[in-house]
Amino acid sequence: MSILYILIPLALLLLGFAVWAFFWAVGSGQFDDLDTPAIRVVMDDDTKPDEEEKQ
Amino acid sequence: MAMASETCFHCALPVPAGCHLTVDIEDEARPVCCPGCKAVAELIRDTGMSRYYELRDLPDPGVGRPPEEAAEWSVFDSADMLDAFTQPDGDSREATIYVGGMYCSACSWLIETTLGKQPGISSAEVNPITHRLRLRFPRDGAKLSSYLATLANLGYQPQPLSPENATRPEVTEQRSALKRLLVASLGMMQVMMFAVGLYAMDFQGIDPEMQHFLRLVSFFVTTPVVFYAARPFFTSAWRGVAGRKPGMDLPVSIAVGAAYVASIYATFTRGPAVWFDSVTMFVFFLTLGRYLEMRARHRSIDRSTALTSLLPNTATRIEGDTRTVVPVSQLAANDTVLIRAGEPIPADGQLLSGKTSVDEALLTGEARPQPRSPGDQLSAGSINLDGMIEMTVTKTGGDTTLGTISRLSERARYARPAFVTLADKIASYIVVALLFVATMVATYWYFADPDRAFVITLSVLVVTCPCALALATPAAFAAAGSRLSQLRLLVTNGNAIESLSCATLAMFDKTGTLTKGSPSISAVFVTDNAFSEKDCRVIAAALESASTHPLAHAFALQGPLPAVSSPEVIIGQGVSGIIDGREWRIGNAKFAGGGFATDDGAATHVFLGVDGNAVAWFELKDELRDDAYRTLESLRGLGLGTALVSGDNRVAVNNVAEALAISDTHFECTPEDKLAIIEDAQQRGEQVVMIGDGINDAPVLAGADTSIAPAHGALLAQTSADVIMLGDSLTPLTTAIEMSRKTMRIVRQNLAWAIVYNALALPLAAAGFVPPWLAAIGMSASSLVVVLNALRLNRFE
Repeated sequence: MSILYILIPLALLLLGFAVWAFFWAVGSGQFDDLDTPAIRVVMDDDTKPDEEEKQ
Repeated sequence: MAMASETCFHCALPVPAGCHLTVDIEDEARPVCCPGCKAVAELIRDTGMSRYYELRDLPDPGVGRPPEEAAEWSVFDSADMLDAFTQPDGDSREATIYVGGMYCSACSWLIETTLGKQPGISSAEVNPITHRLRLRFPRDGAKLSSYLATLANLGYQPQPLSPENATRPEVTEQRSALKRLLVASLGMMQVMMFAVGLYAMDFQGIDPEMQHFLRLVSFFVTTPVVFYAARPFFTSAWRGVAGRKPGMDLPVSIAVGAAYVASIYATFTRGPAVWFDSVTMFVFFLTLGRYLEMRARHRSIDRSTALTSLLPNTATRIEGDTRTVVPVSQLAANDTVLIRAGEPIPADGQLLSGKTSVDEALLTGEARPQPRSPGDQLSAGSINLDGMIEMTVTKTGGDTTLGTISRLSERARYARPAFVTLADKIASYIVVALLFVATMVATYWYFADPDRAFVITLSVLVVTCPCALALATPAAFAAAGSRLSQLRLLVTNGNAIESLSCATLAMFDKTGTLTKGSPSISAVFVTDNAFSEKDCRVIAAALESASTHPLAHAFALQGPLPAVSSPEVIIGQGVSGIIDGREWRIGNAKFAGGGFATDDGAATHVFLGVDGNAVAWFELKDELRDDAYRTLESLRGLGLGTALVSGDNRVAVNNVAEALAISDTHFECTPEDKLAIIEDAQQRGEQVVMIGDGINDAPVLAGADTSIAPAHGALLAQTSADVIMLGDSLTPLTTAIEMSRKTMRIVRQNLAWAIVYNALALPLAAAGFVPPWLAAIGMSASSLVVVLNALRLNRFE
């Protein structure tokens, strides 16, 4: 069981990193818009590659 | 005359008669209403974005139609302007631009993709909720003006924001709420994991050192949850105590604080039990509930920015002999500005020189141009119609009439409805009662079984937290408000939902509410046989194109128009001009040439004459809205009475009333009459909903139990309206009534649930049957039930 004395602090270290990463992501505005990204993937240019060359 | 049945493929306005413009999209010719829309649609097609038209929601008619004159963007390329509107960041600059005229997610896709293809732009992100575009482009060589022009070419109204206007309080609030939620949830997960270990060890026997270690670690993780994630509860509880109005945050804070302190004490004295798991779970569920409520609140549309977008971007400042174009934000009192005909007025001020008339429809709802001479007041946001004028600025920005109005409507939006305030008041009594009960329980158990006294008191405090009770009403109202705004109804006064739900009589204003509000030509009477009806219309269109009078729009025609030489607008009379060597006049009967015999009073007439002789007259009528009959029928289906009150004459009112099967009609009413009619109905016990655009009758709207104003009406009316209907249709009315009834049903369910829950949980906890962790689950579950029940409103069709 004494392995826990190492594993738990390690887990807390990872936790701290996760919180830091999330705070950074929030601070850089990645969570400001929670609506558009969901629909953005289904939207695409309708220009097919060959049409694009023509233009 | 049949009006065009087709609508513009791009902006959804009706295609004017005689306009045959089309655009080929997806191999089909689509009708468009004007060259501007044609250009936008072709641009969208040629950049390969035709799918925009499949993906978008149908716009309000006219949204997306480009202005007739291209705005001057090149001023934004000067170094001063770049410094004022962008923030340098390494090699690039970042600009925040408010994009007026976007209305759905497809718009943000269109903007992002089109701008993304422009040379130099490294990123373009649109937030469809706040209508803000964030643009990054290289520091050197890039032209902000070309990006703004692109947006304008797509039919939007871009407005660069200075950095201090770029961040909204909502964004800051949302960001910190998210961080708190994350800290609480991660902390809860960790502490729960340690708690499982501790409980398991209770049964299997435990190494005291390991137990101590797990408790220390739990303490370590709980600390940020209490001091960071739960801080809003402590501050709000303290505010409540300081203001002698204890809110539901007080027992929350006492429970969290007491359990935390007692657990620390138990940890360091190696006591029998710790409650870190209960603390973190409690904080997590509370934070989650608050977060959901906040998101619902933020979803309503950002109206205040929409209002400032009515102001121009730039103004021409006069200093001595020099004229400089400056951003409107840099104007100050006592500046002199030059305003050309057709331009919006950038600030409140006094007319210095020049004579003109202004369109103040936006502020007062008065559609007729208002004459102004030197010394008169001018209001920001109104439009200078006729001449070039100079103005001394007296007030700018938020101090202007427009700013005040937008602040008023903003405040109305954030004001808490009386219903919610009442619930809060009751909750504060309940809080005091709870604290009293908790003390009694603690005293009893202290004598009966001192070891369990603390645990049981803690459970009582947690389990009976009146969160569900306090959340019952606001959660339902917030969800209803957010759903209604998606259904194009903006609730500015929370009480409206309650009063709408028991409405019995819907009273309508006529002009602009049941009718379209903008007249169109309903008949042409030619008195001179030398001219055909078509000739008259074309000549009238050519003459009226020189005028900015609201009636002039009714004459607009597409296609080639004869050239008018020396056109002249005579204010209050009409327009004259020379076509093919003859002097034509259009306007009132006397001005056009006399010799007309008309008038039944139901319509407006405009007369056309040549060289002093009568040629034709046009009858202009205000048509009924397409969905007026359908909406009134469904309102009657919902059990509401319908009535019509109008300041218009008997014939006009009766025509409308007959067409819509309204029996209760009142005509030639002054605003005082209208108010008296409403009060009379209220005396009879009716709950009156007044629907009107509020031109000259803001007090009438205020007198009704609930008032609804269309968004295109007067801003002043909107500040006294409880609900604003966005879009150009009456159908949302039925939705509003149905939705409000459903909301009140949910509020009653929520209240009943909260009361039953508390009545059951309190005795159980006081009797010692509920351990703290179960109490935390029970309390959170009861709050979540309330929130989830309220969120059902989001699926309302």
